[in-house]
Amino acid sequence: MTQHDPALLSAALAGAEQALNQAISLAPHSHQELDAVSGTLLGIEVTSLDLTVYIEMVTGTDVRLMAHCERETDAFVRGTLEDFAALATSNDPAATLINSGIELQGSSASLITLQQVIARMEIDWEAPLVDILGDVAGHQIAEGLRRFFRWGEGARASLKRQVSEYLLEEGRLTPPKAELEHFYDAVQSVAMRVERAQSQVEKLLAKAAARETPQ
Amino acid sequence: MNDEATSNADRDDDTTDFGYTRVDREAKAGMVRGVFDSVASRYDLMNDLMSGGVHRLWKRFTIELSAARPGQTILDIAGGTGDLAARFSRLVGPEGQVILADINAAMLEVGRDRLIDKGATGNIEVVQADAQALPFKDNSVDCITIAFGLRNVTDKALALRSMLRVLRPGGRLLVLEFSKPTSALLGKVYDQYSFQILPAMGRLIAQDADSYRYLAESIRKHPDQETLLGMMEDAGFGECRYHNMTGGVVALHQGFKP
Repeated sequence: MTQHDPALLSAALAGAEQALNQAISLAPHSHQELDAVSGTLLGIEVTSLDLTVYIEMVTGTDVRLMAHCERETDAFVRGTLEDFAALATSNDPAATLINSGIELQGSSASLITLQQVIARMEIDWEAPLVDILGDVAGHQIAEGLRRFFRWGEGARASLKRQVSEYLLEEGRLTPPKAELEHFYDAVQSVAMRVERAQSQVEKLLAKAAARETPQ
Repeated sequence: MNDEATSNADRDDDTTDFGYTRVDREAKAGMVRGVFDSVASRYDLMNDLMSGGVHRLWKRFTIELSAARPGQTILDIAGGTGDLAARFSRLVGPEGQVILADINAAMLEVGRDRLIDKGATGNIEVVQADAQALPFKDNSVDCITIAFGLRNVTDKALALRSMLRVLRPGGRLLVLEFSKPTSALLGKVYDQYSFQILPAMGRLIAQDADSYRYLAESIRKHPDQETLLGMMEDAGFGECRYHNMTGGVVALHQGFKP
């Protein structure tokens, strides 16, 4: 028997699938990239939620989400929710995949392509708005939305920078990144010197013990 | 176990259940036909009303569990207005085939029109058929689905054996049907809903309270999860199991032809 109520999971997946396909349909640049991985089946197991979801790239414009699938997956990844959140927002998904706690079976290429398509997805709000509201009003509202999202992006970056500056400069709660790296290097260097000294001492002790042993 | 349901469903006498009423076995098919003739044009609306739209999610999971793939032959019994058939049609592709079967001509007519409207025609065959005596060759179908239809069949054991005959070895049967809530509290709420709210909705929206009352009664008379599982095993299906959905209000049973 399944762990989760299939109807609840179906509801979540149906909503996510519709939102994802809607977003893809409004992002024409993604179609070609997704076409390249059409037919691919990915499996994602979120261990912290005891949940497995399958993503089938049906065509360049159609993605299917499933709770149950008997086909063999092209790539299957297993990890915690935090691991997947880090992967989804990563600028370098290949490095994140290697360094995180995510287990991967199969090919990582399709997984990385999907992550990059989602991360780079630029939704064209204008097309559906123009269809509904006409050229003038649709364009004006789309322009307003674009300005709003640009402002949101700028505000997010600015907030991140200011929080970082406060923690470093004003509050002195965390050390600067360069200082921290220098400290780690110094610790590493001390550790290596200690190891070398320890092996010298062991060598000398062995030599002394050999001298003291009667022939 | 739902003893009443078991005993009444396939009792060795000349009567059977029609909701809470005992009727002649020969008469049941005609009476069920009467109900569905009267609701055929509003069937999808009725399903949405009865389930609050959740029937779409139950059917979505049924499609997933079917593991339908290109080139397969899928038989959708009691296929009603063809919503499962339309989705199967896309999954099996042009090299596969979907057979939409229903005993009720009015339902099939609505289903065929809907499928044509959706552009799903090339690989779909529409057949008027009785689930108890399916007019298909032995070992000819990869997967059979019957969604919210088995409870209306007069002799369920006969129907299950007929489905087994038509399936290819390794083929699967999926029975999606209302069942017994797993929690007593949910059961009470569900009873109130079925016998108070549902007929009132039927009267208000479809001017047909009797059909809605029959549907609520027929759900209560249908075998519960374990009973239906036993019936599938008795018919000869292997690896039988079921998934409760929405707290057991609906169960999806699965069995394979050995």
